[in-house]
Amino acid sequence: MKTRTILVVLLTMAVTAAGVQLIGCGGVGASSARSWAAEKVYVAPGEHDKYYGFLSGGQSGSVFVVGIPSGRLIREIPIFEPRAAVGYAVHENDPRRKELMATGAVWGDTHHPAPSETNGVYDGRYLWINDLANGRVGRVRLDTFEADKIVKIPNLQGAHGIAVVSPDTKYIFVNGEFEQPTDGLTTNPAPYTSVVAFLDPESMQVKFQVRVNGNIDIADSSKDGRYAFSTVYNLEQAKSPGSMFQYDRDAVAAIDIPAAEKAVAEGKARLQNGVPVLDPETVPGLLTLIPVPKNPHGINATPDGKYVVASGKLSPTVTIIDAKTLKIVAEPEVGLGPLHTTFDNRGNAFTSLFLDSQVVKWNIARAVEGSSDYIVDRINVHYNIGHLQAVGGETMDPKGDFLLALNKLSKDQYLPVGPDMPEAQELIDISGEKMRMLSSFPTPPEPHDAVFMPAETLKGKVKQTYDVAPDAIAEGQESVVRTGPNAVKVNMTLIRSAYTPEQFEVREGDEVTLTITNVEQIRDMTHGLALPDHNMNLSLPPGFTKTITFTAGKPGVYWYYCTNFCSALHLEMRGRMVVQPRHSTVEITDWHAAQNVKGQTVSGVPSTGAQR
Amino acid sequence: MTARVRLVLVAAAALTLTSLALPLWGVRMDAPQYPDEPLVLRIDRHGISGDVHEVQTLQHYIGVRFPEQMPELTWLPVPVLALAALLLAGAAAGGGSGARVLRVATAALFVLFLIASAAIVQKRLYDVGHHRDPRAPIRSVKAFTPPLVGPAKVGNFTVWSFPHAGGVALLAAAMLAGAGARRRTA
Repeated sequence: MKTRTILVVLLTMAVTAAGVQLIGCGGVGASSARSWAAEKVYVAPGEHDKYYGFLSGGQSGSVFVVGIPSGRLIREIPIFEPRAAVGYAVHENDPRRKELMATGAVWGDTHHPAPSETNGVYDGRYLWINDLANGRVGRVRLDTFEADKIVKIPNLQGAHGIAVVSPDTKYIFVNGEFEQPTDGLTTNPAPYTSVVAFLDPESMQVKFQVRVNGNIDIADSSKDGRYAFSTVYNLEQAKSPGSMFQYDRDAVAAIDIPAAEKAVAEGKARLQNGVPVLDPETVPGLLTLIPVPKNPHGINATPDGKYVVASGKLSPTVTIIDAKTLKIVAEPEVGLGPLHTTFDNRGNAFTSLFLDSQVVKWNIARAVEGSSDYIVDRINVHYNIGHLQAVGGETMDPKGDFLLALNKLSKDQYLPVGPDMPEAQELIDISGEKMRMLSSFPTPPEPHDAVFMPAETLKGKVKQTYDVAPDAIAEGQESVVRTGPNAVKVNMTLIRSAYTPEQFEVREGDEVTLTITNVEQIRDMTHGLALPDHNMNLSLPPGFTKTITFTAGKPGVYWYYCTNFCSALHLEMRGRMVVQPRHSTVEITDWHAAQNVKGQTVSGVPSTGAQR
Repeated sequence: MTARVRLVLVAAAALTLTSLALPLWGVRMDAPQYPDEPLVLRIDRHGISGDVHEVQTLQHYIGVRFPEQMPELTWLPVPVLALAALLLAGAAAGGGSGARVLRVATAALFVLFLIASAAIVQKRLYDVGHHRDPRAPIRSVKAFTPPLVGPAKVGNFTVWSFPHAGGVALLAAAMLAGAGARRRTA
C-alpha cells in the first residue's frame, strides 16, 4: 500500500514535470516565443521596414535613421559634426564647416528629433533637432535626408527640450537649460535666468523668447497649439547641485502662446541681441507654473490632447495635468526613476523607469479616476532606460504596435568591444495587453530620443537623384581658368568612370576654386573625389554640385580619385592635379600628358605586356 | 468594291501615316543593377531617345557605339507616305480589275518595305555587336547580334529588341492592306 502511494506520487510528479516542459516554461515555449519575436521583426532582403526610425545621435551630432521593426541602420545624417564619408563639412573652407565654426563648434549634442506636423501628424517635410552643447537647432529636409539649415539661438545656453507647436508646426520651441546672466554679462552682478525660444519653422528666425527661472528641461506642446509645456528644475536657481533641493516642488511651465504673441505685438518685449524677450511678470497670464515633485524630467501630451504627463524622475510618480485647465488631476506612483512617457491608441501610457530598468504600462483613465488597478504591466529592459517612444506616440495618431526603449547602458548585452560600450535599443511589442520583448540593437553614442514615421508618409517624397543646381557644370562646359595671379577656377564634371578634366595644373599656394558636378542621371551612382594631402573628400551623389576652395600644397603630382565604389572602372577613375613650383616658367601638364599617352617605362623597372 | 474594303484600306493608310509619329523600334535592357527600372531606347524617325544618357555612359566599357547616322530614318517618310498614298488610291479606285491590281501591288510593296526595314534593323543590331572599339576595357564580352525580336545576353544585360508602337502600326497596316487586296470586287 505504502509503496504504491509513493509510486503514484512519483509518477504524478514526473508527468507534471514533462507537461511543464512541453507546455510553457521549458524549451518548446521559449523557442516558440523566440520564433514569434523573430517573425515580428524579420524584414526579408529586398523588403522594406514599416517605419522610419529617427534616433538622435547624441554626441555624434547626427541623426541615425533606423528601419523599424528590423532595427537596421539605413543612414546617418550628419548635422553638427563633419563626416568625411559623405563629404560633410570636412575641409576647412567647406561652407557648412564654416557655418558650424561661426555658430560655435564642429560637433554637437543632439537629443530630440522633432518632425514637422500637419493636423497633428507628421507630414514628412522637415525634422528639427537641438544641439544642447552649443545652443543651436538644425533642420533636416526629409526629401534628401540632409541638414539644410543650422541656427544659433541668442540669449540661450544648453538648447535641451525642443518640440514643434502642434497641430500645424506654427513654431519650433527650444528650452534653454543653462541659465544665463540676464544682461549677457555686460554688467556685474546680474541675475541669471533662462529662456524658451520660439522659432519660425521656415526661416528658423527666433520670433520671441519667454524668460523662465530655473533650468528648463523637456518640451512638448498642447495638441491644440495653445500652450508650450516645459519641465523646469532648480527653481531655487542654485548654481551648485548641492543647493538644488531646498524647495518642495519644481514646476511644469505652461507658456500661453497666443498671449505671448499678443504681448510681442503690443511691444511688451525688450530686444536682447535682436530678439524680443518677454518677462512673464509684465505679462499676466503668459506663464503658469504648475507645481510638480522636485526635478521632473519628461513632459508628454496625450494623443487625445486632454492631458500632459510630467515624469517625476526623483519622485516615483507621474503628474497628470489637464491640458486645458492646467490643473493637476492625478499623481499616480509608477516606479523608480520615471523619465519619459509615451502612448498607444488604446488609452495606455508607457513610462520609462530609469532606476527600475523597466517600462511600466499604465492606464490613463483609471489613473485619473483614482482606481488602484491602473498599472497594466511591467517589462524589464537592459539597462537604465532613458527615453522611450511608441510609434506615433507624439502625434494624434499613435499606432499601438511597437515601442522602442533607448537604454543608457548595455553592460552584457552585446559582444564585448572594449570598455567603451555601445548604447542599447530594445524593441517591444505593445499590441497586446502584455508587453513582449522583440529584439535589441546597438548604436554608437548616443541616441537620446527617437520618433517613428510611417514609410507611407515619405513615399514618393524622397529624391533619388539631385535636381540640376543653378551652378552645375554641364558636360562639355568643363574648364580650367586662371582668374588671378594666385587663383585658378576649375569647372569639373564626373561620370563613370572619369573626371573631366582628367588633369589640371596650378602653382604652389594658388587658391583653387573647384566646382564639380556629378552628371550621372541614375540613382545610387555616387562618386567621390579625394585629393591626397589636401584634407579633401567630396561625396557627389547623382546630379549633385559642390564648390570648394582650397590652397594648392607643395609642388608635386596629386592624384584625385573616386572614393565611392562606382563601377567596373572605379579603381581607374582618377585624375591629376599638377602643382608647379610658385615661380616655374614651364607649362608641364602638356609635357606630362604627352609623355603618358602611351604609357612610359622607366629604365631599370621591368614591365610586362604589349600594346594592342 | 464594298464600303468595308474601302474602310479597311483607309484605316491601313491612317495606321501607316500614324507610324511616322510613333517610335518604330524599341530596345529594352535588363540587368541586376536596374531593379524594376530597365533601360529603354526608342527609335523613331528623329533618332534614338529614352535612356540614351545612361546607355551611352555604359557603352564605353565594352566599346559599343550608337550608329552616328541613320540615313534610313531621314528617308523613311518617302516610302511611308508613298504607301499611304497608294492605299488611299486603292480605296478610291473603285471595283475595276486595274484597281485590284493596284491594291495587290500596294500590299506586295508594303510587305517588301517591311522586309527591307527588318533587314536594315537587323544590320544595325549586328553592327552594334560587332563594330566595337578594340581598346575597350572589358574584352570578355564576345561579338553579339541581338535578334530582331527577342532577347540577347550582353554582359550583365539581357537586351530585348522589339517593334514599338509605330512598328506594330506598320505591321497592322500591312495586314489590312493584304486583307483589302484579297477581297473580290462586289
